[in-house]
Amino acid sequence: MNSVNTGIQLVVWIIAYPFIAFTVGVFMGGYGRKFTARLQRRVGPSWVQPFFDVIKLMRKRTNISHGYMHDVAMMMLVGGTIMTLYFIPVPGFTYFAQYGDFLVIAYLILVPSLGMALGVGETANPNGSIGIARALQMLAGYEVPFVLTFIGMAMLNGTTSMLDLVRIQQSGGMATWGIVTNPLLGIAAVMALQGMMNEKPFEVIVAPHEIATGPMTEMGGKYLGMMFIQHLINLFVETTIYINLFLGGAQNWVELIVKQFILFTLILSVNGVFGRFRTDDAVRFMWKVPLPLAALGVVGIMLGIG
Amino acid sequence: MNTSLLLIIPLAGFAVSALLATVSRRTMGIGKAVAIAGFTVVAIVAMAARQEINFTVTGSAIPGWTIQFGLTNLSWYFVLMIAAITWLTTFFSLGALRDGKTYPMFYAWLFAKTFGMIGVLLARDLLTFFILWEIMSWATYFLMQQGTDTARRASTSYLVYAIAASMILFAGVIFLYRASGSYDFTRVAATVAGFETGTLITTVVLLLVPMLIESAVYPAHWWLPPAYANTETGITAYLAGISTRIGVYGVVIFLFTVFGPGTMAKLSVGYHLNLQVIIMALAAFTMVVPTFTALFQHDAKQLMTWHSIGQGGYMLMGIATASSLGVAGGLFHVFNHMAYVSLIVFSIAAVEYRTGTTNLNSLGGLIKKQPVAFLGLLFGIIGLAGIPPMNGFVSKWLVYRSLILGGYPFLALAAFIATLGTILSVYKLIHNMFLGQLPERYNEVKEVGFLMQLPIWILMATVLVTGIFPGLILGWVAQIQISLGLEPIAYTLTGVSPTVGQLNMGVITSVFAATFVLAALIFFAGGRRRHVSQYNNYAAGHFVTKEVKYNFNYNFYSAFDHIFEHRFHNPPVKRGEGALVALLERASEFARRIYTGRLNTYLAYSLAAVVLAVVILKEVL
Repeated sequence: MNSVNTGIQLVVWIIAYPFIAFTVGVFMGGYGRKFTARLQRRVGPSWVQPFFDVIKLMRKRTNISHGYMHDVAMMMLVGGTIMTLYFIPVPGFTYFAQYGDFLVIAYLILVPSLGMALGVGETANPNGSIGIARALQMLAGYEVPFVLTFIGMAMLNGTTSMLDLVRIQQSGGMATWGIVTNPLLGIAAVMALQGMMNEKPFEVIVAPHEIATGPMTEMGGKYLGMMFIQHLINLFVETTIYINLFLGGAQNWVELIVKQFILFTLILSVNGVFGRFRTDDAVRFMWKVPLPLAALGVVGIMLGIG
Repeated sequence: MNTSLLLIIPLAGFAVSALLATVSRRTMGIGKAVAIAGFTVVAIVAMAARQEINFTVTGSAIPGWTIQFGLTNLSWYFVLMIAAITWLTTFFSLGALRDGKTYPMFYAWLFAKTFGMIGVLLARDLLTFFILWEIMSWATYFLMQQGTDTARRASTSYLVYAIAASMILFAGVIFLYRASGSYDFTRVAATVAGFETGTLITTVVLLLVPMLIESAVYPAHWWLPPAYANTETGITAYLAGISTRIGVYGVVIFLFTVFGPGTMAKLSVGYHLNLQVIIMALAAFTMVVPTFTALFQHDAKQLMTWHSIGQGGYMLMGIATASSLGVAGGLFHVFNHMAYVSLIVFSIAAVEYRTGTTNLNSLGGLIKKQPVAFLGLLFGIIGLAGIPPMNGFVSKWLVYRSLILGGYPFLALAAFIATLGTILSVYKLIHNMFLGQLPERYNEVKEVGFLMQLPIWILMATVLVTGIFPGLILGWVAQIQISLGLEPIAYTLTGVSPTVGQLNMGVITSVFAATFVLAALIFFAGGRRRHVSQYNNYAAGHFVTKEVKYNFNYNFYSAFDHIFEHRFHNPPVKRGEGALVALLERASEFARRIYTGRLNTYLAYSLAAVVLAVVILKEVL
């Protein structure tokens, strides 16, 4: 009886999880716009404005396609993000997390990027291609320190599984959180997260004034709508990864959402007061500040063990 | 029986093909028929030879040396890969080779090369190993010449490295023979086990260095890109796919069979520095430096050959960990790399066949003209970058996990940096060839024919199926590990068993498919889409016409170019090589002065020599 119950629960979770993540993402996206607006002394749009944007874009009559790869890319983009989502453990739903560890997530997170890159490539617009070239160079910038922080956490705890990392961090309250046990790694990762979430000063990909919104240049109607959906779910994915690695995961959804909003506020505050770096400077920063910090943290762990 | 046939057929094939090429240069059709028939038989025999593992053929005894051939799990794994890739290359060349006059000895050298490689794999004693190694190197040299004039020049640089490697190997063979009185692997291994540290270091250097040169490990990797990239493109696939990996085979048999896995830890200087760390550091450099060099290439074949070097680093890294996971990852990566690299190069060859160029700055937009080649390249680069669900992911995952759990965080990071570099450069590859604006001159380009498409489809299926069901190959790898005396990897059909780690490609692929369908449902729920021409494009209020080149492909990663400018335009290895050449020139200049061309100088020399001889003789007697 119990197994049937868990079976039904599992199905419900599998269906509901992307929608929950999307809803949280909508509120985070709306909150972000509101927060930035208030920093600039504007009123700002409603908290659920991203939701209306998505509905509007998906209902557009004009949808320009540049070929089949352009269409398939949209599916890779949204599908890849939802797939990554499934492998991230959240309170109450850890089923898929036992079939793939952080290394799997680190690679799955590249699928939407690759999808977008291929689709934008087919639109045959140099602005888009420049945007992708920048995005990939940024990727090499922030992923290096971020992965090193993860490697450090994995060595410290002797596991590459995100599920185990969360369990270990929850074992002793705040004292066992990753950011407390190894603050250097936590700080390096939050800097990398700023780049991963494409916020200023690392917002080189969209850069509306330079390359006409980069990858989005040739995206209109439901294509842009799909990109919006992906962006909103991604807000959830990226903040949850950080929370699971360094902020002790979450025991219930209220805790998770509160942590997400606090983390996102930090990111937005930095975003609000910076201009945009040049791409090479952004990459250099990633390699010169967070990377040595993370390396220092890892050396500390190695010496601690040895 | 089958084991001997593996050597006899390629040798016979070489004789027949060479004869055909000598008789007439217009008999390409017959040559192709002989080649495909020969390699089909080789492939069938290779598959059948699985039953003969651990079977040894002993040849006639020459004083001190008995020729020994035998099949082990390890050599069978490599033989199977060689048979498969040679068959695919030959099949591909049936369509790709148009002109018999350009490459008269194409198939003959392919047979010779196959003979040499299979011979090296089957050799069970050092001298046989060395002789076949030489045959293989020379066949490679001639095979590399099957291309442009540049290929003939570039292959000479390979020859220099190959001869150096052979000479070192020969010294090693003689050294071990003097020490043990035998060439046989098992008896040599018994002698090596009793060596003291100094002797052991000499042996290790003499045997491993040639293998590392052959696998193009940093810093001995400079010969590979020019030598591979200028040959006929089918041969590039063959060479990059398997030829370099014979060096990996050599590393494995010498490390685990001749020296024994304990040697790496035994040879240590100080606390942490030992042979294992040195090999791993070399592997890390091999992964990172060539991969980032690939970023700045402007030729598709050049770019891929740099990656072929870089991927070798993963294999060496995995093998050097000497752990169950790492060795499995390294050996599995050899197979995966063979599949996706040849897939990529075949796709490039399909484009080259129609457009006549592999220059990344002049191609573009070919996705609409050559969808099969695009799909092949897409599958290949996903495998190369190691993104699920393709096979490259599984082997890289094994290597990473072994590095992280083995306590090598920075080596794991190096592996990840190399992966990022790979993603960047393969995107450049696919973007500049297939995406972006289609130049007007390629409007009439068509897809290639069935003969060239079939290998692409087969390899696409291989890359995908072994990605979803890695257990198919890991089964063989586990048996190799048992025969090498290592703990076999605990694998399942779709990944590794939960005791080893969390990887289930079946679940990952199912989720991949399901979420893709979900996204497709969302996509098709939106309004109807309309296809437009590439000239119907945003241009800041201006308009794009056929005369306007509206494309971004030159200097694709300009920010990285800006960061790495100084390092890549004058790399330390090249500087070292330059210094060596300068030193050699100085020395030669000095030596040249001895030959003045005047008779009295030579008379003075003779007089001096006589005086010297008298003095020495007087001392000695």
